[in-house]
Amino acid sequence: MTVVTDAAAEEGGRSGGSPAPSGPATQSGWKGRDRVLDFVERYALVVLFIATFVFFSVWSKTSSTFPHATNIKNVLGGEAYSGILALAIMIPLVCGEFDFSVGNNAGLTQVLCAGFMARLGMPVPLAILLPIGIGAFIGLSNGNTVARIGVNSLIVTLGISSVLLGIVEWYTNGQSISNHISPWLTNIANDEWFGLPVTLYILAVAAVIVYYMLEHTPYGRYLYSIGSNREAARLVGLRVERFVLLAFVLSGTLAGVAGILLVANSGGGNPQAGQIIDTLQALAAAYLGATAIKPGRFNVLGTMIAIYFLAFTVTGLSLAGVADWINSVFDGAALFVAVLVSTIIGRRRAGTS
Amino acid sequence: MSGPGEPGQVPSGPGPAADGTGAGPPPAVALRIDHLSKNFPGTRALDDVSMAVRPGEIHALVGGNGSGKSTLIKILAGVYHGDPGGTITVGDTTLAADHTTPAKARALGLHFVHQNPAVFPALSVAENMVIGHGFETRPTGSIRWRALRRQTQALLDRFEINVRPDTLVNTLRPAERAMVAIARALQDQEGQHTGVLVLDEPTASLPRAEVVRLMGALNRFAAAGQTILFVSHRLDEVIDTATEATVLRDGRVAGTLRESEITEDRLIEYIAGRALDRMYPVMPTASSDDVVLEARGLVGGPLQGVDLQLRRGEVLGVAGLLGSGRSELLKMIFGAYAIKGGTLAVEGRAVKFRDIGDAMAAGIAYVPEDRGTEAAFLSQTLADNVVASSISRYWRALRLRNRTIDSDARDIIGRYLIRASSEKQVMGTLSGGNQQKVILARWLSRRPRILLLDEPTQGVDVNARAEIYGLISQAVGQGCSVLLVTSDFEELSRVADRAVVLSGGRITAELRGADIEPVRLTELAFSTQEVAS
Repeated sequence: MTVVTDAAAEEGGRSGGSPAPSGPATQSGWKGRDRVLDFVERYALVVLFIATFVFFSVWSKTSSTFPHATNIKNVLGGEAYSGILALAIMIPLVCGEFDFSVGNNAGLTQVLCAGFMARLGMPVPLAILLPIGIGAFIGLSNGNTVARIGVNSLIVTLGISSVLLGIVEWYTNGQSISNHISPWLTNIANDEWFGLPVTLYILAVAAVIVYYMLEHTPYGRYLYSIGSNREAARLVGLRVERFVLLAFVLSGTLAGVAGILLVANSGGGNPQAGQIIDTLQALAAAYLGATAIKPGRFNVLGTMIAIYFLAFTVTGLSLAGVADWINSVFDGAALFVAVLVSTIIGRRRAGTS
Repeated sequence: MSGPGEPGQVPSGPGPAADGTGAGPPPAVALRIDHLSKNFPGTRALDDVSMAVRPGEIHALVGGNGSGKSTLIKILAGVYHGDPGGTITVGDTTLAADHTTPAKARALGLHFVHQNPAVFPALSVAENMVIGHGFETRPTGSIRWRALRRQTQALLDRFEINVRPDTLVNTLRPAERAMVAIARALQDQEGQHTGVLVLDEPTASLPRAEVVRLMGALNRFAAAGQTILFVSHRLDEVIDTATEATVLRDGRVAGTLRESEITEDRLIEYIAGRALDRMYPVMPTASSDDVVLEARGLVGGPLQGVDLQLRRGEVLGVAGLLGSGRSELLKMIFGAYAIKGGTLAVEGRAVKFRDIGDAMAAGIAYVPEDRGTEAAFLSQTLADNVVASSISRYWRALRLRNRTIDSDARDIIGRYLIRASSEKQVMGTLSGGNQQKVILARWLSRRPRILLLDEPTQGVDVNARAEIYGLISQAVGQGCSVLLVTSDFEELSRVADRAVVLSGGRITAELRGADIEPVRLTELAFSTQEVAS
């Protein structure tokens, strides 16, 4: 769960005599300053989000475009893809594993979905469900290697993402697939329900499901426990391997869904879409999310706020006409700062610093 | 009263030898520690310890778990700082104990070999020798292998270690590995046998035959004039090799023994000592003869055939040293460690646990030895930690009853005397004793039939210890049976109805009632007699 779990567990193990404050200190300590600090920690990202939003709305360079409904709807709907990808990467993170293949997984399911419709003329439901199933299978294969054999998840999923990239190249020959794409699917990206983009509803549904799973089912609790201390989780009778495996399957499934949204957004299968850079952005959002709402803990609401904070900032910057490279720097810096801050918060909350 | 403590004090002290510097005989003391104390928050690890090691002798530092030996070694090594006021003197250089650093320790001529010597198994002996020093290279940057091999050979010859420089360390016998580590520690001595070689439980993980080899080597080094300080819990090797032994107990010097005074009896007397007055609850005595748990010929890990019976409402103590297999025994019963042979029966029915879940379903609970790495979810809340073993109970109508979890956790905080601000407090910020109570509550709230406890009061202060035993006593009163492993034999004697001694992978003795007595347990656990197999 927290980002520093291993170090925390190790240090805690050594601490034997325990330097933590004892009884009375902890009882009366939860006052004044701590309470303020806690509040600041929880809502700093929200405040930052609002401040950025207000800034771009009044800044002379962007005030004419940024606060407009079209722009806001574009960002809200267009980022559903990134949002689902962030949810995908978050689930294994909760149990202490990385899935770096989510971006490329989405990239593959995207071209498969488009290809199944364009080349094989598959019915739309099948052309959507089959690629999602393939995404899930990629997750299963990752999870199997990581959970059962015990290979480092970072290496496994990085390797797989390169393999997926290659398959995409092979399948598309480097060309976009944009004919015979079901208009029903592409319309999703343009349609609105009650004034909001349909894709936003899709993201909301996915977010609620993941939230429910993590916070309101035993499985979610198990994942957080495994992330906190794997050996202790085993010794309270949890089937660690199975649960970690399932986390990867869920991650792969969500990546598949994200791939379908890519098709809806771009109207086809684009071999350039769904890349490792998308994975990094999702990672940044998940870590940034772990600094908010429930600091020190990966959480859905925090991740959603983070995704839109990043998206609106990037949009604001590009509307202001800054060079494209600024975006890369911003995304990278956000990831760096997010990991740094969530590590510090996690460590402090675990009482090991 | 610390027993027959001080009389054995070494006479050397800051006497004439130290004053009359300059030429003449070598100083009478190679290493002297004066008034060394060390306080950790909540515990006093060392309390005004003074001791002296004479040059060219093997000096043993002995004591039970938590007696302060490791702390003392760590201060010498500069890993910890001592409290102000203490001093460490090597030869004629004195260092304030609160200013020790690893570099200063090295400069003083203290050479350390730690418990699990940091040898690199996949590298050759020669590479292991230079790894911490940097390789000697040619101007082009390539390693001078031939020179390295020659130097290593010289070193191995000097220490009479019969291995070749090119041999990979992972193919060496354990004793040879330890000797390589010793040679590595000593290689930068300026002259022959200057300084002090400090060995922290060098034999802890060695089989018996290997111990003999290593001790033989130490004797040779000492005969050649090397001063050696070694920490050990194997009394036979202390008796065989040490010229002098300092015994620590509860952070104080319980006594110092020389040559013929070093006998098993005297050592045990000092190690076990007279106990601190601690409060233990009166355990309800076992009232039933029903056997709740029976192990027959249990084999696996260090265990070579363990038979035991646990009766209903009984507290059965398992006395054994570190590495005796006591923890593995508990893990086997809990389905967390592979059983190679033998059978287990719960309530008279043979059981084979495929995993921990099976054992839990059979009513078994297990509190592991290492709270930090095996039990606590330090970054999670107290409530998360309490319910970790029974989350599925709160899953009703497709919802996890988070509110019920919280209210149960609050209830448990009260019932188990946990001092915390709320059920949302993060586990890692609780004190050790309170963390342990949370772990205990996690299992006791499941109302287990069999409770396996591994060092339940380790790193816990005296009051929390009393409370923990109070909680265990309540559970026992309700019919729970307890299998208790602890290295604190005083504790064992106070709470156990019956005690078995685990040594050499087997149960070697059983004590009941008033016979369970710390000195007797120490004697049996440290016993050097190999059980005939």
